[in-house]
Amino acid sequence: MTVSPTTLERTDLRLGFIPLNDAAPLIAAKAKGFFAGEGLDVALAREASWANIRDKVQVGLLDGAHMLAPLPIACTLGLSGPATPMIAPFCLNLNGSAITVSTALAQAMRDADPAGMAQRPRTARPLRAVIEARKAAGLPPLTFAVVFPYSMHNYELRYWLAEAGIDPDRDLRLVITPPPRMAQRLASGEVDGFCVTAPWNALAVAEGTGEIVTYASEIWRVGPDKVLGLTADWARRNPNTLQALLRALLRAAVWCDEPQNRAELAALLAGQAYLNAPVEVVSQSLVGSPPYSADEPGEASLDYMIYHRYAASFPWRSHAVWFLTQMLRWGQIGDDVDIPAVAEAVYRPDLFRPAAAALGDGAPLVDEKVEGAHAGPWQLDEATHPVRMAPDLFFDGRLFDAAQPRRYAAGFEIGRYAPDTPRPGSAPKI
Amino acid sequence: MRVLLIDPDPARAALVAEGLEGIRPLEVRQTAVLEETEIAAFAPDVVVIACDSPDRDTLESLREATAANPRPVVMFTDRSAPGLAEAAVQAGVAAYVVDGLAAGRVRPVLEVAMSRFELMQGLRADLAKAKADLASRKVIDRAKGLLMKERGLDEEAAYRVLRKLAMDAGRPIGAVAADLVAFANVLKGKDE
Repeated sequence: MTVSPTTLERTDLRLGFIPLNDAAPLIAAKAKGFFAGEGLDVALAREASWANIRDKVQVGLLDGAHMLAPLPIACTLGLSGPATPMIAPFCLNLNGSAITVSTALAQAMRDADPAGMAQRPRTARPLRAVIEARKAAGLPPLTFAVVFPYSMHNYELRYWLAEAGIDPDRDLRLVITPPPRMAQRLASGEVDGFCVTAPWNALAVAEGTGEIVTYASEIWRVGPDKVLGLTADWARRNPNTLQALLRALLRAAVWCDEPQNRAELAALLAGQAYLNAPVEVVSQSLVGSPPYSADEPGEASLDYMIYHRYAASFPWRSHAVWFLTQMLRWGQIGDDVDIPAVAEAVYRPDLFRPAAAALGDGAPLVDEKVEGAHAGPWQLDEATHPVRMAPDLFFDGRLFDAAQPRRYAAGFEIGRYAPDTPRPGSAPKI
Repeated sequence: MRVLLIDPDPARAALVAEGLEGIRPLEVRQTAVLEETEIAAFAPDVVVIACDSPDRDTLESLREATAANPRPVVMFTDRSAPGLAEAAVQAGVAAYVVDGLAAGRVRPVLEVAMSRFELMQGLRADLAKAKADLASRKVIDRAKGLLMKERGLDEEAAYRVLRKLAMDAGRPIGAVAADLVAFANVLKGKDE
């Protein structure tokens, strides 16, 4: 179904992105004509920081943008910039990131715990051994970088560290670094490790300065990473344009996920106007999975990057709730936040479904799902057509039920949240 | 009051620094890239940062006091001047202040930075236009030369032909001239 341009409130749009492989649906929608097919003339603006993306969307210099999946929640709550109601009606990808450490730290981890480094998924126990040895020797704490306080990367790294008994606020120094600078900071020794989305992990491996310790998909088999973010006000004023935008992105996500298109996608993304990165490196995280190190090839079965399959584009409210539990866990929000209400206001499956219906794409009829319950592939029957789904386990075997967010947030040994605590004493730096 | 200016564009940074000289007492330091050690050593009251600097996210993470950074930094949004922060983002600049610094002291700094950023943008746009004009003039000269040679016209008559083509097509004379030169090259077999 195509809508004639006359019913669109707007046809000229400006969308922001950060140079990362998961900006692909936006970039492909422009390059492959999916925006044009909906009567939209879209300019893509490469931005230098997530703060820019946030501010420009809030003041209207951008109509919408590629955003860290928890960022629209943080903006709505006023945690990042002035409080502005924002929405996420479309998930741009699942997985796509990894944790990388310097080759020196990887060697130290192998020396300290060879058995731990040989097993998969890799836990942070070898890292803990290194941290303890450094403490005993009076050495300064290791430094790890993530891209933003309100990012999957921050929560993913913390989840992985804390499972092994490492307190990310006390045993390490966590800093913020822009994605394209990660590999360079690792090479210069300013950071010992980082968590970022593709292609920047593969770049550190290709340059011989880093080793991938674990993919995101080994920590949580299908974790959300980026979304399309817009202000709630923009969505209210431009309902037809938003539907056209979502249809174009959905078509683009389908195209991006076709294995036979991945090489073309890599060449497109690598271009100067987009990622401006070596095409071989961009390609490693799209065609199969990137190598862990020079000696260890990637594991293609681990769904390194998902754009559309397994209902990936659907903005699950349970994903929003999971992010809110991690905000609670790490002291970014207090007990006063109404978690279900915020999740419902920001993550908007109700806006996604009409776009999927127009394309005849199977869309879930439920807004939430339990995470960590499926060890193998399964089928989602509560959908317009049954949808093939992936395993969804967490590496620590934990189960997440969005109906019990506070119990879940309080259930971690390392964390800042205890129920009935009105406000955390001191928020962590990141 | 100490101001740290983070701008990857040295020419623009110099322009802002010069503008800030009018505000006293003030100590200004410029850097292309944010260094946390520099923040700790210089202890700025205000950080002015270009929106095209990738360091904004790192700067925003310094909002909690730590041993390395004893003075928390927050984005400057002045409630007494609504729209100022928005206007600054439109001009391509953002300001961060040490928590608690009086808005009245920060505002003139941000206003100078905004006006200098806009000035720089204007200068760059003028330069780009001047370059485009020059290129257009060169291509018009070449088209005139072709017409003079192929049709035996004098310079003025060749220009009149170009102008008429442009008026008939409703397009800029430079664009028509560029087409003519391109077609001539094809006819001469110079496109390979």
